[in-house]
Amino acid sequence: MNRDSLVRELRQIVGDEYVLVEKEDVIVYEQDGSIMQVLPEVVVLPGSTEQVAGVVRAARRANVPIVPRGSGTGLAGGAVPAEGGVVISLARMNRVLECDLRNRIAVVEPGVINLDVTKAVAAGGFFFAPDPSSQAACSIGGNIANNSGGPHTLAYGVTTNHVIEIEVVLDDGRVVWLGGRAPDPPGYDLCGAFVGSEGTLGIVTKAVLRLMRSRESVRTLLAIFDRMDAATQTVVDITGAGIVPAALEMMDRLTIEAVETGAPVGYPRDADAVLLVELEGVRESTERGARVVQEICVRRGARGVRVAQDDAERLRLWKGRKGAFGALGALAPNYYVQDGVVPRSRLPEIMRQIADISARYHLRIANVFHAGDGNLHPNILFDIRIPGELDKVIAAGEEILRACVAAGGSITGEHGIGLEKKAYIGMLFSDVDLDAMAKVRKVFDPDGRFNPAKMFPTPITCAEMRRAPAKIPAGLWI
Amino acid sequence: MTIDADRLANRLEGALGSAVQRDPATLRAHAVDGLVPHIRCAPEDTSQLSAALRICGESGAAVIPWGGGTAMHWGNPPTHADVVVSLERLNRLVEHDDANLTATVQAGMSVAPLQDLLAARRQFLAIDPPDPRHSTIGGTVAANINGPRRLAYGGVRDLVIGMKMVLASGEPIKAGGKVVKNVAGYDMCKLFVGSLGTLGIITEVTFKMAPLPETFGTIVARGSLAQAAHLIDALFASALTPAAVTVVGGDVATAAGLEAAEASLAIWAEGFEEAVARHVRDIQTMAGQLGLATEMLDGVAHHRVWETVRDFGADGASPAVFRVSVPLAAVTGVLAVALGVTAGRPLRYVAHAGTGTVWLALDDPGLVAAWFPRLVALAQEYHGHAVLVAAPPAVKQTVDVWGPPPQALALMQELKRQFDPRGVLNPGRFVARI
Repeated sequence: MNRDSLVRELRQIVGDEYVLVEKEDVIVYEQDGSIMQVLPEVVVLPGSTEQVAGVVRAARRANVPIVPRGSGTGLAGGAVPAEGGVVISLARMNRVLECDLRNRIAVVEPGVINLDVTKAVAAGGFFFAPDPSSQAACSIGGNIANNSGGPHTLAYGVTTNHVIEIEVVLDDGRVVWLGGRAPDPPGYDLCGAFVGSEGTLGIVTKAVLRLMRSRESVRTLLAIFDRMDAATQTVVDITGAGIVPAALEMMDRLTIEAVETGAPVGYPRDADAVLLVELEGVRESTERGARVVQEICVRRGARGVRVAQDDAERLRLWKGRKGAFGALGALAPNYYVQDGVVPRSRLPEIMRQIADISARYHLRIANVFHAGDGNLHPNILFDIRIPGELDKVIAAGEEILRACVAAGGSITGEHGIGLEKKAYIGMLFSDVDLDAMAKVRKVFDPDGRFNPAKMFPTPITCAEMRRAPAKIPAGLWI
Repeated sequence: MTIDADRLANRLEGALGSAVQRDPATLRAHAVDGLVPHIRCAPEDTSQLSAALRICGESGAAVIPWGGGTAMHWGNPPTHADVVVSLERLNRLVEHDDANLTATVQAGMSVAPLQDLLAARRQFLAIDPPDPRHSTIGGTVAANINGPRRLAYGGVRDLVIGMKMVLASGEPIKAGGKVVKNVAGYDMCKLFVGSLGTLGIITEVTFKMAPLPETFGTIVARGSLAQAAHLIDALFASALTPAAVTVVGGDVATAAGLEAAEASLAIWAEGFEEAVARHVRDIQTMAGQLGLATEMLDGVAHHRVWETVRDFGADGASPAVFRVSVPLAAVTGVLAVALGVTAGRPLRYVAHAGTGTVWLALDDPGLVAAWFPRLVALAQEYHGHAVLVAAPPAVKQTVDVWGPPPQALALMQELKRQFDPRGVLNPGRFVARI
């Protein structure tokens, strides 16, 4: 491409200060929360839908790829400019445009931080349900691209269940609305297909989000188990008893050790698993639910069950879970997190398989995960300075994903395919299945300009990709 | 395109054997908006379905996928209807993984027998299509049929987590899986929910299940429409979590076994006994303060109300049925305007206040020409839309039943071209006669 003329054009569209080309300026955009790095050629920060459309048209004329980027907290390399081109950061488009509580919707720009949506409507008694653990930093645009989950999506569903309409810029700069504020808009559910498309179909410039009424009562329990098997069987029993908790989280022995070493909260170091259960609803429902959950934990041999008596105690019970990811640093210089999913009924056996993989590879694996929906987060601990170690870690991660697929699960529950798992998508889908997805891509983006080399198993052809430890901002958790 | 029905039938018989029917009575029973097909076939498995679609594609024969035939009034009249492909032989529950709260079901299975099997393990599928003895899983998903409890459990698009389908080319594909969280690849299931059989034929669906509630009941509040609107506001301002909140009017109340009133608001509560008791208590207090009379229904009376609501507009009793979809807070306002427009003519309605879906039924199809544009305009004032769900074929020929084309029509037309380049699947029935 003629880079200079493209840069000139981009400066005319968004203003000089919002086009970055110098290495010291673009280097912060070379990576997300994954281990992949590619230095961007140009980074643009548009401030409006019209500017996004202008940038897309300019990139199309120059025939270069476009990589949309939210807050860069993604864990699969989705925001890494693998084939070069223009990185479009949506960070400046961060206004909450409308809160219509009577209709239970909020209209926001893509750069709005997830937690800020709930902050904007909490006083009115509402919340935005998807709560990825990076919610203090991640953007709504990024949530939509990745169909993000979070600990409380067990009862309420993931991002796709809470995004009803989006304004998108297409590959030729056209701006269209997909979905609708009213249910069941006539035609194909293109909004539903767009959510989770990892930036490969276009760029979201506005989103209409569904809000939920805050629950009257929250009950939080923490149960301690001497055996992982008993803990996973408890999860199966809770679901089987007809209880759908708002959250059902688990930590294993190694994670407990990390928490107690890094930021102690008083978990017994000799416990094999900690289960955190949260129930939400009307008071009568949560009280009975909590009793049933407590009984199941005890019947499955829990050493102790603590029930939070007030908000302060509730936050204390969650503190270990929220601090677990950061605390892993106390055990090893680096960790690599996977995101496999299994049917909840297969949790006990997949945890045994992960323990086996850990032993065979001589790699320690700390499990801290969304047990209630079967979404695993095995963190493989390692030291990147040891030659060959990272390759071994990646091989062990791949083996875990194969085990998840063999158990009837998936290779990613909430982090996305991105660059990281594109070679693995064939574990789940045949060429014909993938070809059907390619047809959808062709409808929106016939030239494959948006976020090329992601999600599908095509090789990367031009840019230089390096691997480096993930740069996760302090305070985030998974 | 004119097709050679004899030749086509021979080829289908070669692939499907005795599952190909051409007797006139059977064919007449499978007419769509008056169009009688030339052939009906019922493949016994996915490979026979693939073969049937390949053969029809090569002949350019228009294919009408057929589940239980309970939603054939949906959509524009087809431009052609050559071969009805029935899913009746794909009628098994493939797997009920109750510990995972999921079930995988073949498309031709009817909803009622499925619910019976699920209930044996204390679970159910939280979709309430009309006529569940005949409504099939595939038809319910393809037509995106949602019931009153969508408020609490989500709609079809929220409950479907995996799918198998056969494309117009005959190629079988799958999408999603059997885990509740899954972001691998595009969410292809979303495209097929509500696509009315125009992108491919669904053969199998995996759903999230819900546990059967310990108990249930319905509080009915009677009064004026304005009073009902105030009670709905009070209810949604509270922390209560009802399963369904539905206003019925006209002679629907009588059919549901309720006393006549300008408006009857039915509120479905389910869950633990003490939670249902709390809903009954609080709602009766709210209704009393607003001057509405209330009664509590359980058992048979509860079921009668919700079966009437569920079957409304789909039982063939009304010559013209509309669905007006609007954001939640607009529901009672839309009803008030609609009642004003009819100016005393009999109007029956069922309005789901918790989901923004208003069903209206008229006895005189001659009023559609005047009414439909007004309902479309009314819905658009609220960012919503109106669909003519059922009407005699002659009336349907005069309008696009889906209303004005969506803004993203060009993308939808291209999607149809990508998946069904010859346009053989349900031609003409979907939006803008895709």
